[in-house]
Amino acid sequence: MIQMQAFYVFLGVAGLLAAVFVYTIASTRRARDLDYHTAYALRRKLLYVLLAVLVVGLGMTLAKTPYPRDKDIPEQVVFVVGKQFSFGISASPITNDDEYLAATYSTPVQVPAGAFVEFRVTSFDVNHGFSVYDPEGHLIAQTQAMPGYVNRLRLRLTQPGRYRVLCLELCGSGHHRMRGVFDVK
Amino acid sequence: MRRDSSVKPPRSRTMRPGLVVFVLALAALAQAQQSFGVPSNQPPNEDFYVYKQIPDVAIETGASTAMRLSKIWSEKPLLLTMVFTRCAGVCSAFLRSLRAAVSDAQGLGQDYRIVVLSFDPRDTTDDMEMVAESLGVKLDPNWIFAISSAAGIRQVAAASGFWFQWDPSAQQYDHPSLVEAIDRGRVVRMLAGTNVPRASLREVIQELRGRFVPSYALAGKVAFRCFEYDPNRDAYRLDWGLLFMLLPATSAVLAVVWAFFLHRESPPKPYDSSSALIR
Amino acid sequence: MASNAVVLFDESEMIRFRRMTVIWGITALVLLPILALLGYFMRLFQSGAFPQIRPEWFYAVLTLHSLGMVGTWFVGAMAGVSFLLLKYTRPSLAVSKFSFWGTLLGVVLLIVCTLGGLFGTGWYFLYPLPLMSQGVWQPWATLTFFIALAILGVCWTVWTLDILRSIAQRYSLRAALGLNYVFGEPGPEVPPLVLITTVSLIVGVAGFVAAVIVIALFAARALGVNVDPLLMKNLTFFFGHILVNITMYLGVAMVYELLPTYAGRPWKTNRVVAIAWDAVLFLILFAYFHHLYMDFAQPQWVQRFGQICSYGLAVPAGVVSIFGTLALVYAARMRWTLASTLLFLGIMGWGIGGIAAVIDSTVEVNSHFHNTLWVPAHFHTYYLMGVVLMILGFIDHAGKEISGLEENPRRSKLTVILLLIGGYGFLSMFFWAGAHSVPRRYAIYPLEVAQGTEYARIAVLFITVLLLGVLLYLWETGRRCLKALSA
Repeated sequence: MIQMQAFYVFLGVAGLLAAVFVYTIASTRRARDLDYHTAYALRRKLLYVLLAVLVVGLGMTLAKTPYPRDKDIPEQVVFVVGKQFSFGISASPITNDDEYLAATYSTPVQVPAGAFVEFRVTSFDVNHGFSVYDPEGHLIAQTQAMPGYVNRLRLRLTQPGRYRVLCLELCGSGHHRMRGVFDVK
Repeated sequence: MRRDSSVKPPRSRTMRPGLVVFVLALAALAQAQQSFGVPSNQPPNEDFYVYKQIPDVAIETGASTAMRLSKIWSEKPLLLTMVFTRCAGVCSAFLRSLRAAVSDAQGLGQDYRIVVLSFDPRDTTDDMEMVAESLGVKLDPNWIFAISSAAGIRQVAAASGFWFQWDPSAQQYDHPSLVEAIDRGRVVRMLAGTNVPRASLREVIQELRGRFVPSYALAGKVAFRCFEYDPNRDAYRLDWGLLFMLLPATSAVLAVVWAFFLHRESPPKPYDSSSALIR
Repeated sequence: MASNAVVLFDESEMIRFRRMTVIWGITALVLLPILALLGYFMRLFQSGAFPQIRPEWFYAVLTLHSLGMVGTWFVGAMAGVSFLLLKYTRPSLAVSKFSFWGTLLGVVLLIVCTLGGLFGTGWYFLYPLPLMSQGVWQPWATLTFFIALAILGVCWTVWTLDILRSIAQRYSLRAALGLNYVFGEPGPEVPPLVLITTVSLIVGVAGFVAAVIVIALFAARALGVNVDPLLMKNLTFFFGHILVNITMYLGVAMVYELLPTYAGRPWKTNRVVAIAWDAVLFLILFAYFHHLYMDFAQPQWVQRFGQICSYGLAVPAGVVSIFGTLALVYAARMRWTLASTLLFLGIMGWGIGGIAAVIDSTVEVNSHFHNTLWVPAHFHTYYLMGVVLMILGFIDHAGKEISGLEENPRRSKLTVILLLIGGYGFLSMFFWAGAHSVPRRYAIYPLEVAQGTEYARIAVLFITVLLLGVLLYLWETGRRCLKALSA
């Protein structure tokens, strides 16, 4: 899970930084003059190491975005409209409030497992956050639902089960109970 | 329904009024057969047809009498548009705007080809060649002008939300204008309207090339975007939004000019640190 | 001494300035526990402690707590920096007073519209939410909110411009930006405090102007103009990102200025320091793009540029400021007091929060962390355990200097331990929850993310420890400040 990987990277680097700070505090027990040459040399090393880490990090991650350059054509489109306070999710376009309400209360959209799906997400009022939680409750993807724009989120969902949609952009007093749902079979 | 009905009228004289009625009924039926789909004031909505399979119908071009659409799209993606040659309305203007947008977007031949299909059963391949000539693309092998059977036309129309209705008073078909981007037999984009905006077609070609466009703006009156599409010039122009984005940094520069050049006494006077009252 | 040398302040003016600084310090020390208690309420709410209270209250308190904290530490940093600048320049006492009254008025109006009007948009009041409350808050609350913002914005912009003006009286632009050091030319000595303040406040002007434009466009929307939501989002996050980051940089500037006196070593501007902070001036203008990764409508090159700039900001921070702090203190004859300990540990918190921020500024990671509790995790880290500690360190330092009251080393040690354990424990629950997909800004957690409730309960325990530390600090330093007021 990418979240846990990121968390452990954070823990490692932050722990290292904290250790260095603790070490520095301890070092003041035996005071001596600072050797500036050594310090500057160390700083230069730190600069190179940090630059290397950042450049490698950029190289590994800059190309990967949620807006993929896929050559595959999605097999299915799922239309999503966010509105205070539910997500209307439907296999057919949602063009007005009635269709949004129908989509909110209808049976969940079925997506074939392994199918390449495109979610077309917009909002009818304020900014919402369309987020996809897999059957185990992990956040696997998200995009903003902005009024006046349609964001296209492409996913290949292999794990069958019920997927939940939670709102990830504060949209009012019902923000925490704003949901949607679809099934992967 | 086959256009060329093989029902023969009865020969008996006493059946003549019935014959007239029958012929009239047939004529009416023939007219109805010349219409397809549900007319609408709105152009077809891409959302309803995107990623759907286009039926692999048999078509006929000037070069070949027996070809299938799949042969064309299996080699390269294609742009498909439907017109009729006796059109006195939008068809030629639409085709001209398509040609302009295509030459602007480039990639014709390498990345995609164009199929102009007639939905009028009366059109022949010669008629289509004349349209090609008038558009100036008769010799361009990447512009494919084709006709199909009535059944084939209906199948393609159904898969793209295209409709056409015969208007007897004008002796013309009423129909929307649209061009669809078809990749491996599936509709990936659809542009409908009276003309083909160059910027939109560029985006469509990008998608055919495999570059995904992750978002698009909905039509509607929105103020202060960074770039706003100007339909008159068929291009994007700078809008107020970009000015608003540049204003903060510009203000910071102005503040610096004010503080460091306009407001202060120059040159800055050195201060007497012995009189500073803080350690 | 040169005959045309200028004496900065006479004694009575100096005393008045010190008084004003102490008043600012006390203001921050009064707002801190109140706003912290609001935060306590929020985490308690999320732990399920108040099932009978409507969630509208959570969102109103969220708005007040977040804006209040952002504002409190901004003015705290500004007050600290303008006090330390007295050694080099002459900021205007009148402007400081003007800002003080304006800030008080703005805070009062904020309290009225949130606790009185249930205005609950969160601190970044994302367009068009303030205008679409579904009846929870009335138009008067929205109007009051924007008036409060306008008042605060005007005062703080004037204050920012005044400090820039005061720096300009003593330093040319070239000097103030450290360009003499960068190009190796002769020039006056420029303390890092002046360099960092100049960089931060130039950028700050841009941020405030963006806020002005946002408020004006909200007015346009109220009059019926359908303003582009993407533009509003860009302007809002440009403003917010800058305001929060310059607050931290001003705190760091105070550390550059004060920590050397405790370490018995100098920390002067040199070529590397100047290059680092000039780089910050550029990078910070574009790093804000990392708030809009999940807006696919932004051009893709903008997203990637945002990641590059966000990563880039780690270099001056890590290599110059953090390393510089460590080198300053390493094996030094360090006077460890409450103030110096807080200043030193504040840099550590700033660094740790920064690490979490850089990780989140990776687009691919952001897909999984955006608007989860990872976001408050990282900004509470570099605020609460970062700039807040720095400012609390400064207030203690100034309070001690002016009042002359000595500190109790054992109490100081206990304060620091309580703050660290309570603070980092509270933060760890945010990070853990974010790594487990718990969304942010949820009044209560639905079944899908029920683990959030558990984590909130644990966080509450740590906040209790943290609050004990805060109270102990307030008792010690508050007394010093009150004594300093009459000094």
